[in-house]
Amino acid sequence: MNDSGTGIASRWRARTAIARRDLLEFVRDRRAVFITLVMPMAMYPLLAMSSTLGVRTALNEIDRNRPASRLTLALSGPDAEAFAGLVAVARDRTDGRPLGWPESLTIYAVEEDDAKPLVDAGDADAWIPLAPGTIKTLSSEGTVTLKPRFSSVHPPGRSVREHITAVLRGVADLARRTRLRQAGLPADLLEPIRIEFTAAASASHASGIRDVLPTAASAVFVLLALLTATGAFYPAIDAIAGEKERGTIETLLIAPCAPVDVVAGKFIAVFVVTLVTLLANAVSIALTATVLVRLLPADALSGLPPMATLSAGGIALVVYVGLAAVAAALCLTVTAAAKSAKEAQNTLTPVVMLIAALAGSAILPGADTGRWVPALPFAGHVAVARAALSASIAGASAVPRPAEPAPSAADVALGLGISLISSAAVTWLLLQLTATLLTDEDILFRGPDAASRGFTRPPVRPRPSPGESLTAAVAGLAALWYTQGLAPDDIVSGLVAQQALAVLLPLAVLAWWQRVDARGTFAVNWPSRSALGTGAVCIGAALIGVGLFVTGAAVALATWGQSASPELRDLAERLISLVRSGPAWRALLLLAVMPAVCEEILFRGWVLAGLAGPAPSLRRALVAVIVQAALFAAFHLLPERMPQTFAVGIVLGWLTLRTRSLLPAIVVHAAHNATPALLVIAASDADLGAIQAGRPHQLPAWAIAVSVGFLLGGAWLVAIGGRRRPLGTTSA
Amino acid sequence: MIEVLDLVKEYRASDGTVVRAVSGISFRVDRGEMVGLLGGNGAGKTTTMRILATLLKPTSGSARVAGHDVLADPLGVRRHLGYVSATTGVPDRLTPREVLQSFGRIHGMDVGRIAPRVEELSKILDLGNILDRPCGRLSSGQRQRVSLARALVHDPPVLVLDEPTSTLDVLGARDLLDLLGDLRAEAHTILISTHRLHEIEHRCDRFLVIADGRIRAEGTREALTAGRPGGLEAAFFSAIAGEAVP
Repeated sequence: MNDSGTGIASRWRARTAIARRDLLEFVRDRRAVFITLVMPMAMYPLLAMSSTLGVRTALNEIDRNRPASRLTLALSGPDAEAFAGLVAVARDRTDGRPLGWPESLTIYAVEEDDAKPLVDAGDADAWIPLAPGTIKTLSSEGTVTLKPRFSSVHPPGRSVREHITAVLRGVADLARRTRLRQAGLPADLLEPIRIEFTAAASASHASGIRDVLPTAASAVFVLLALLTATGAFYPAIDAIAGEKERGTIETLLIAPCAPVDVVAGKFIAVFVVTLVTLLANAVSIALTATVLVRLLPADALSGLPPMATLSAGGIALVVYVGLAAVAAALCLTVTAAAKSAKEAQNTLTPVVMLIAALAGSAILPGADTGRWVPALPFAGHVAVARAALSASIAGASAVPRPAEPAPSAADVALGLGISLISSAAVTWLLLQLTATLLTDEDILFRGPDAASRGFTRPPVRPRPSPGESLTAAVAGLAALWYTQGLAPDDIVSGLVAQQALAVLLPLAVLAWWQRVDARGTFAVNWPSRSALGTGAVCIGAALIGVGLFVTGAAVALATWGQSASPELRDLAERLISLVRSGPAWRALLLLAVMPAVCEEILFRGWVLAGLAGPAPSLRRALVAVIVQAALFAAFHLLPERMPQTFAVGIVLGWLTLRTRSLLPAIVVHAAHNATPALLVIAASDADLGAIQAGRPHQLPAWAIAVSVGFLLGGAWLVAIGGRRRPLGTTSA
Repeated sequence: MIEVLDLVKEYRASDGTVVRAVSGISFRVDRGEMVGLLGGNGAGKTTTMRILATLLKPTSGSARVAGHDVLADPLGVRRHLGYVSATTGVPDRLTPREVLQSFGRIHGMDVGRIAPRVEELSKILDLGNILDRPCGRLSSGQRQRVSLARALVHDPPVLVLDEPTSTLDVLGARDLLDLLGDLRAEAHTILISTHRLHEIEHRCDRFLVIADGRIRAEGTREALTAGRPGGLEAAFFSAIAGEAVP
């Protein structure tokens, strides 16, 4: 029998034993090792070589195919020949021609009658009639006015005008020098400054490279995020789905450790492989960069201090450790629901797209390390790495760039901290979810019939499955996105279309197709056995809704202050306009009642019911509440609203599970949304003007105290009025 | 060592109907006893054994292994249980030695005790010449012996074996059952299921016949076959057909 009992030490012993076993299996799989670790080492040199060769080839091609600049002029008048001679002298000057001089210049001295046909036939770009005495005037005093004429059949391009200007400037310069000489004045009298560029090409390269460096580095950061996450794929597939396929998962699940310990052991193994992949990528990038540096002009990276660049790389590496953890946990979670390696590969495909989309979104203009971005998985990791590089480049630059303010070192440090904390929290949550999925009897012992059900309509069931719950939320999110483009500009129609198309339609289709019990799924119950109790719960829920909004607003004002995004300001202004431009009942219906009913049916009804199951354990209930709140927050699209909507989602989810009724959640939601509408209705024009001018008031302390009182009082009313049912019990 | 009381397990089938796989069965297996669990496909044998192995949770009723309740103390059950089924496999890329070492560590055994235990099991199960060969290159019989060694590495007093001979040839099955006989002699408690009644007819102390999730007959071979020709197989058919069995 075993020698050690329970306790942290024995749990960690089991975890490390599982991790060691999985790592041993991984390193014996040569194909997986090659794809995971060796391929990235070859990827960056290949990309760099191909891109360098491609750029060089393209430049050479452009240079080769660029048409030579040429100009053909027709001169008429008695001084045509002499003027042509002056042009030839100007062309042959050794001390420089004016900017824009054509590479090839042809001049015809013709009769006036022949000039126009010549230009119209396209044999000359322009015709300049020279008045008698032009040469004389040039060599004495006065100004000659020249009027180049062009063909109406072949109108000239901008370059022709530039070339003509350059040629005539050259002749004018000659005339100026002649006049100075005749006046006994030095030739440099009218040239107080002469500009001579030295190593002009190199300077141009250096500036250009510094300009494109952040963009190029951002692309590399996105690629690094994807390839690091790819490192988790094979070990994650093998760790759970592979074990199921081989029939070895049962041997681990009957080991004397909790499922979460099994998952933790497997996570350690996948995380280690992902970290090694990250390091392999980082080493490859560093080596490739050293090669590329030699290919660049000598001073291309001048001014970039190596220590600052190394420091930025170090910060990027640290933040990507968090990315590796999230990627490893995410891959484990996704593959935990798969029965076979093939199924796991299929389910990981959308994960690749998700990671690519999130990582790519961080390099969009406007995404920075401020506020919420570092907390987002993948997007935050790339954003912090990018900010670290921007800060190092800005620190090295002699000339500040006000158009692109670079983050400060404090910003980067704060972003790094937020990203690491967020990564740890997301990883923990995903591992808890993995443990739940791992021991799900339906998944663990699911027969092939479930897998081959295909598109046949499922039988009547009490609740949707967790997968079907997530499908509804994702479909709603996608529909919400598309609705933004399709919905009418009018905010009233837009709000109705949004709720109808993004919430009710996908849900109605799914609910009809899935044939679930509507009453159980959508918690169609009274929250209390008595009318009095139901009334108490509803009043309590309304107080909670008001309290949640006011405390949330206070936190938001303290956090964001006046730095709300233009999108949030625009939304606020549109909503204020809606409230002030119509009757109060319309605003309350559109902003409070409609979203409360529709969104609660989706999130606290369908999504929560599927995620929690009929009689959830405390852990499953917690995971279900957190996941549906996260989806609810994502549904509100604007990142600044997400923290508050997430918190509200937690309260609503928990309330629904405790009361087994959707009604309290609807009331909380409606009260939460109605509060700002009522405040806008009651506000004076001066107050609204101040808000719209970007001068939001800090909430007074008494308002915050009252809102906290509302929260506590509401919770108390719900507790005493509702029929509080302990989790884990089935409905009576 | 194994006590099952009014055990019920229901699950929802893919057509939405509630299926009662185990319907209120009760039995016990005492220390040093080897009991055969007999039944056709879908009778409830595997579900019962998975509940005993804490892989499934019972809908109602209770099950205890070595005094530990499967719901209240699953870790206690797992520490005292060795479980092998026809579907439990071994990692292809590890050697039997590595498999046994890793499970020894997972079971919390002292490092110093693992190596001697592996050698001991190697002798008992005749793993000597395959101990350092990847499991993926072993025959099904050899893999099943490794699987049994894995279940025994922490020296559990209770063994639950779900059709352990189904992938073995006649010789392999005989060797395995001989080994189980030795383990029973060492006071191990064994619950074994199989479709091949003749293999265990003379090896088990008692038999439980299960059909449609219910125990239809229970007793020693002599008691089950008393007064009827055809031996255990005939008694089994009578029991699952609902006929009275002594």
